[in-house]
Amino acid sequence: MKAFQENLQKLEASDTQVLGVSMDSPFSNAAWAKEMGSTFPILSDWGGDITKQYGIYNPGYKAAYRTTFLIDKDGKIVEIKMDSEAIDPTAIVASCERRKLKT
Amino acid sequence: MLRRTAVLLLGVLALSVPRAGVWAQGEKKEGPPPRPAPAFKVGDTAPDFTMIDQNRQKVQLSSFKGKKNVALAFVVFAFTGG
Repeated sequence: MKAFQENLQKLEASDTQVLGVSMDSPFSNAAWAKEMGSTFPILSDWGGDITKQYGIYNPGYKAAYRTTFLIDKDGKIVEIKMDSEAIDPTAIVASCERRKLKT
Repeated sequence: MLRRTAVLLLGVLALSVPRAGVWAQGEKKEGPPPRPAPAFKVGDTAPDFTMIDQNRQKVQLSSFKGKKNVALAFVVFAFTGG
């Protein structure tokens, strides 16, 4: 998520809101956000309902698989990145910049 | 008597061999289960949600509709890298 913070300016410049999601409590997320210096929202999916709905719940860890969904302005999913690809925001940044150019 | 014992032994063997096969198959299946595909694919509409952020403010996905793209990044645990 640090990588998303580092790329936040580029993402915001291409009209993109970053939302982190973890199954931890808002209190844990607040401490984590402070440690990372993250300025974007980190949402608490306490209980995992959203993680399960999105089909990325890992019962082995009782947590989400590291996944990034890019959702466009119409609410459509336009990119899905998992694992190391989800950690590195390069592809997401490029996709957002392309979308910005089109509009 | 000897013949009956032999028949019994054969019977036990016949029963146990296929079961051993089933056990062996069961063992092969252990280990981490394969990762399922996400419930949605590119082109699908992302279902709306409302969650609480680190400042205990409600954030609703649909509030960005028509205004911004949303990079929705699910992490494994807070305080982990990536």
